[in-house]
Amino acid sequence: MFDVWNQLAFWSVVVLLLAAVSRVPIGYNLRNLTVRWRTTMMTAAAFTLVIALLVVMTAFVNGMNRLTDSSGRPDNVLVLSDGAPDEAISTLNLGDLPQIENLPLVERRGGRPMASRETFIIVNQAVETTRRDRPKRRFLQLRGIEDPLRSAYVHDQGLLPGGAWFSPAGAVELPPDGERARPVVAIQCVVGEGVARELGRDRDAAQLASARNPKRLDVGDTFTMGNRTWLITGILDSASTTFGSEIWAKRSLVAAIFGKNVYTTLVVRCPSPQAAVEMKDFLANYRNVAVSAQVETDYYKSLSETSQQFAWAIGFVVVIMSVGGVFGVMNTMYAAISQRIKDIGVLRLLGYSRLQILASFMLESLGIAIIGGALGCFIGSLADGWTATSVVSSNAGAGKTVVLRLVVDANTLALGAVLTMIMGAVGGLLPSLNAMRLKALEALR
Amino acid sequence: MKFAMLILRNVIRNPMRSILSVLVTVVLVFVVIVVWSVLSLLDYLTTEKSQNFRGLVTERWSIPSRLPFSYADPLSRGAARRPGDVMPTDSMTWQFYVSTLDKEKITRESLLFCVAVEPAKILTMMDGLDLLEGNDLAELTRYVKVLEEKRQGIILGRNHAVNLLQKSLFEPKEIIGKRINVTGLATFKGIDLEFEVVGLFPPGRYDTLAAINREYYNNAFDAYQRNTGRTHPLAGANLNLVWLKVPDTNSFTRLAEQIENAPDFANPAVKCETAASGYASFLGGFKDLIWGMRWLLAPACLFTILLVIANAISISVRERRQEMAVMKVLGFRPWQILALVLGESLLLGAGAGMLSSGGTYLVINVLMGGLKFPIAFFDRFMVPEAALWWGPSVGGLAALLGSLLPAWSARNVKAAEVFAKIT
Repeated sequence: MFDVWNQLAFWSVVVLLLAAVSRVPIGYNLRNLTVRWRTTMMTAAAFTLVIALLVVMTAFVNGMNRLTDSSGRPDNVLVLSDGAPDEAISTLNLGDLPQIENLPLVERRGGRPMASRETFIIVNQAVETTRRDRPKRRFLQLRGIEDPLRSAYVHDQGLLPGGAWFSPAGAVELPPDGERARPVVAIQCVVGEGVARELGRDRDAAQLASARNPKRLDVGDTFTMGNRTWLITGILDSASTTFGSEIWAKRSLVAAIFGKNVYTTLVVRCPSPQAAVEMKDFLANYRNVAVSAQVETDYYKSLSETSQQFAWAIGFVVVIMSVGGVFGVMNTMYAAISQRIKDIGVLRLLGYSRLQILASFMLESLGIAIIGGALGCFIGSLADGWTATSVVSSNAGAGKTVVLRLVVDANTLALGAVLTMIMGAVGGLLPSLNAMRLKALEALR
Repeated sequence: MKFAMLILRNVIRNPMRSILSVLVTVVLVFVVIVVWSVLSLLDYLTTEKSQNFRGLVTERWSIPSRLPFSYADPLSRGAARRPGDVMPTDSMTWQFYVSTLDKEKITRESLLFCVAVEPAKILTMMDGLDLLEGNDLAELTRYVKVLEEKRQGIILGRNHAVNLLQKSLFEPKEIIGKRINVTGLATFKGIDLEFEVVGLFPPGRYDTLAAINREYYNNAFDAYQRNTGRTHPLAGANLNLVWLKVPDTNSFTRLAEQIENAPDFANPAVKCETAASGYASFLGGFKDLIWGMRWLLAPACLFTILLVIANAISISVRERRQEMAVMKVLGFRPWQILALVLGESLLLGAGAGMLSSGGTYLVINVLMGGLKFPIAFFDRFMVPEAALWWGPSVGGLAALLGSLLPAWSARNVKAAEVFAKIT
């Protein structure tokens, strides 16, 4: 099993061993690196690029993994129609819902089952903006819910300070203002932070100048979707979950506006994770309803297939680029050795053994790699916290568009460090072996 | 000629350095070609065309788009109601059908994503297939003819064929003639169909898609009603999209206005957008990934080639300062020394680039049957023929840029200074 920390420890030991074996003063290597500083810097720069890319790309995958790992609750069961791999194409029979909600495994509070009936819709939004760098259309994920407080409890979602859930009516009349000549009925909604940021980017300079929050849309802001005005009443405290890319509103209103008058999803809270597993198993064999049930965390974990594919693609690209880096450092080291053949002869005459010369040149190669790799890790780490849009999907065809945060963690940096050392060692080995094999008198001739 | 021979001799004089520089360029140009192959197809699809404009009519507000089949005919005529209204030059309806080959184990491999179409339109309206030539066109034409005759026929994508046969991509045609049973999923529940495989799509764009005869598909809804006494929930909304072809942008603008303002298409409302805009919406979720590939990955590879070649050439120039000083003494002009170094670099870069592009084309298109990179509705990408010139151009240009400074330094070698150091 590839454990990045074990690998890092191994390579650190290798470097320490080389330093211990090589009696050639380290100053000799440093002097050579600084004398040929242009060559050193150019070789190191190639490492910097490869490692910085590795860190950024891995941070992207980390962000996707974190999103799918932290979405959902282990004591929730997500119910879709039988055979539906995704909420967008699920159609639950209305008659099945009360049967499921009233099962004894469902948690009850105040006599009411803790279940959230939902209609999940992917809306095609015409983007109204004067900015040319924005898309003309985009897909937004809209979740219609019946009772916001109950759904918030089931999904364990709160609102950021200053926000409120939408009213029982789900809509409110907005008075005329600078943008509207007449009063307009706006649909109230709460939005995830990711989608608030995405929508906020549509604003032009003038709108941004007077914006409540220049980074994203905020409570009290409006946007247009499906020919209707939507008023944000709250921002979901949905950091690192897929709900951060969703808009929640009154189900009866969104069903009517978008012509989807069916329930796509039922999420029920069970008293414990164990009860959720029992509930899922029970529903799999329950003949009164035709549904497909999964523990909610399993559903979201299954959406990590895209990130696995990306991880493979990244691995492939990084390996290929690393091969380039290895050849680059090999070139530099061969040149360094060919220019210092006489030095090697003198070192041999002074009594340094072949192994010590090998270790000395290996250290030099690793030194170049470490300079470049460290800079690459630093540059790559600047990507920590960047936001990016992506799609998470499962093997069975489920998928969601998400806004994620890139995560540069210690593992990612350790991976960068390990790759740096592997590239430096592999690239330096053949030239160092060449140096080691040189005979003293031949070298001095 | 002598000068070219001198460049060649210099390149092969230090074979280890030349080979290493070539190898770096080969592997990095490989990455650039792979990235550009993916981007070039996506760019092609999302770039508005000036001729043979393709429009896409779908439900206005939500996806998956679900329209009543009664919309098919008027939409295919572009909702033309009055004399002078624009009529599309061609059209095609798409009705999605999602099913599984194995109802016990639903995985990506067992999913069968079909579009029910009028078979003849496959040849004229499906993006990319309308450009087929030679054997590929003859073969697909044959399959389409059979699909027209056999209503239960199905033309499969390569991935389906491979999954059904459980074999490599090289022998998928063995599936032709076999019968398959599929079970409708989710909203298609109750529409279980039997097909005879009558052909395969060419490899690439349509590896994950299958085409069936729309008459057979629509009849299945009637059969459902006969068998169960109920109308299938999708029966009134089983048309998903309509493709329209118009000659130019102006016709498209008028056509879109015609359709979007037509009173017949009010509930559900429809929208008419260009195919490029439709593709762009679907790719919206991947926009940052695509941005990263375009502006981080490919430039980083190019810059790495530049650095490595610059390094190799500058080492080479440093080692040959005496030689260049001698050349100057022998009468070589500074610009000739400059050209010599640039030529060596160009030869290395362009040669390695050519090797890389040729190799990439062969390995990915011929040996691997395409590069598997599932993104949006694409599963694998082919390396375009244009990549054969990308390689030499990219390698050559990066090498040329990388060697500018070393070449300039070589040009400025002063014979007196070099010999002064030797003595």
